[in-house]
Amino acid sequence: MTLPDYDPLPLTVSDLSLERGGIPLISGLSLRVEPGEALVLLGRNGVGKTTLLRALSGVLRPVSGDIRYGDTPAIKSAPAICAFLGHDNALKPDESPRQSLAFWAALSGRSADIPGAMASMGLKALADRPSRRLSQGQKRRAALARILVQNRPVWLLDEPAAPLDGEGREKLSATVTAHRVRGGLVIAATHQALDWPDARVQELTR
Amino acid sequence: MRAGAIFLREARLAFAGGGGPAAPAAFFIASLTLVPLAIGQSPATLQAAGPGVICFAALLAVLQGAERLFGEDVVDGTLEAYGLSGLPLSVVAIAKVLGSVLATLWPLPLVGLGGGIAFGLPVEAAGMLALALAAAIPGLAFLVAIAAALSAGARRGGLVIALIAAPLAIPLMVFTASAGRAADIGNAAASANLLLTCAVSLFLTALSPFAISAALKARLE
Repeated sequence: MTLPDYDPLPLTVSDLSLERGGIPLISGLSLRVEPGEALVLLGRNGVGKTTLLRALSGVLRPVSGDIRYGDTPAIKSAPAICAFLGHDNALKPDESPRQSLAFWAALSGRSADIPGAMASMGLKALADRPSRRLSQGQKRRAALARILVQNRPVWLLDEPAAPLDGEGREKLSATVTAHRVRGGLVIAATHQALDWPDARVQELTR
Repeated sequence: MRAGAIFLREARLAFAGGGGPAAPAAFFIASLTLVPLAIGQSPATLQAAGPGVICFAALLAVLQGAERLFGEDVVDGTLEAYGLSGLPLSVVAIAKVLGSVLATLWPLPLVGLGGGIAFGLPVEAAGMLALALAAAIPGLAFLVAIAAALSAGARRGGLVIALIAAPLAIPLMVFTASAGRAADIGNAAASANLLLTCAVSLFLTALSPFAISAALKARLE
């Protein structure tokens, strides 16, 4: 099953300043991510990678500056176009990946390819195992499959590859490439290099 | 229907991880069983205390599952994903509360009916009490959900929930118990109290989702 391309929506960040709990983290950041691009945010612990992703998802209000998808401010548009993978996997211990993916697909209200998402993250054999019996890496795969079935143009991924093994990383990389081919954009925060082909890297410093 | 997906999931998870209606019903029955041991077995005392004690025990039964309602979603990252689902959080709250109420709290009016008869109320009075309980439970569940959303993710959240919810529960306690008591002594005020219970319960059901949504939003930021 092939899903249609996304409407092209560039991300524009201009002169953005953020703080977390009163501590200023990011100041004067400007960047632009075009449809089909991947941006990897690198930086050491505590530099504000997660805070920036949360601001890009419209949950956190910037101290100053502007975040827009197309022409619309992120606070308005993000809930309809972003898929967010946080530190936690949003899995329920008593739900299997299959049940969980069916739920998130129904909630997103867009067409979704659940078997395809499970296959691309290598979950076929684990489809009916309750997630309390999955390993950390397997849980991360299930969470990434959720991002896939949500079928949204903007992926915001916080340490997507941290618990993944080599095969998992390859699958993630292939999935990201397929998403970009459809005109989607990916922004990932990580403290270790991700071997994604021609991904832009932005180093965050204090 | 996208909110329907949350409703169904909540009901399914209540059975998968929480035993569905078993826990609140067992809690309700256990507390009612202890009452005669504590206040004495005189039939007149039990009959007089019955409606009030049953309402109070029902409130405790509603409270006992409250910590799970939003606490788990905050801790496991589900709330974050709900925040980006495109649905307003008030709609998420309605779907979640209704899903868990219908899956877990439906036996409470039946237990209240049996409890009323066991405490020596006439069948009509026990029936009136059960009816008032059925009317009160949605309101109780929503106001407990406000407290659960305010304390979601906090340590010892259960205690905080009880402290926030208790004063809010006063009107429902008064009217529900009065409906049962008035029916017991054949007073016409029974149906008036039942209507007041319905009114308060509807009021709470209609307004709580906005309070829950505000509490969850504050939790997300």
